[in-house]
Amino acid sequence: MNAMSTKPEKLAQRMKRSSKQLMIWTFGWVFSLAIVAFGPKFIWDFGSTFTLIAVTVNLIMGYKMIIANKNHLEDMDEMQRKIQFNAMAISLGVSMVFGALYGLVEAVKLFEHEPNPSNILFVMGISYGIAIFFGYRRYA
Amino acid sequence: MKNRLKVLRAERDWTQADLAEALDVSRQTINAIEKGKFDPSLPLAFKAARLFAMPIEEIFDDEYEEG
Repeated sequence: MNAMSTKPEKLAQRMKRSSKQLMIWTFGWVFSLAIVAFGPKFIWDFGSTFTLIAVTVNLIMGYKMIIANKNHLEDMDEMQRKIQFNAMAISLGVSMVFGALYGLVEAVKLFEHEPNPSNILFVMGISYGIAIFFGYRRYA
Repeated sequence: MKNRLKVLRAERDWTQADLAEALDVSRQTINAIEKGKFDPSLPLAFKAARLFAMPIEEIFDDEYEEG
């Protein structure tokens, strides 16, 4: 198959590049979030100017991560995008149902502890991962 | 949707990876299309038709019968 061997692996190259970009900006976002969380207490003693700078950096990192994720999705082929699309729909739905209920459990005296909104992120991530796994299995 | 991708590929002695590279999709996508688990988009179907130099309806069959 000489004609085909001259063609570069376009999809593989695109995926490698966009995955790397996504990894870099995700790491940047997590790191800048950690700075916002711990910097005021441990580094600059709650100085509001530094905190505002840290928040701004975090927002920029978040924006770049979102764009990198969007580009990563656009670089996929159509079946990979469909799997991602289904996983996002499931993850969004599960997070909405869980989040709405989770906010009520303390009010209706089912749990003693105060709900922590960040737990919804775990539910979102776990449901997304499971949906991706079953999505790829479905088309295997 | 039925298709003849596997047969056409075998006739040319191409692997799924070869066809995937030519169509700029993943090998898993070619596998899913061949098994009828995933229906390709119209642009991808046309791309396959151009690659095999065949009319699109000779590769893909939507199994629709007019009553």
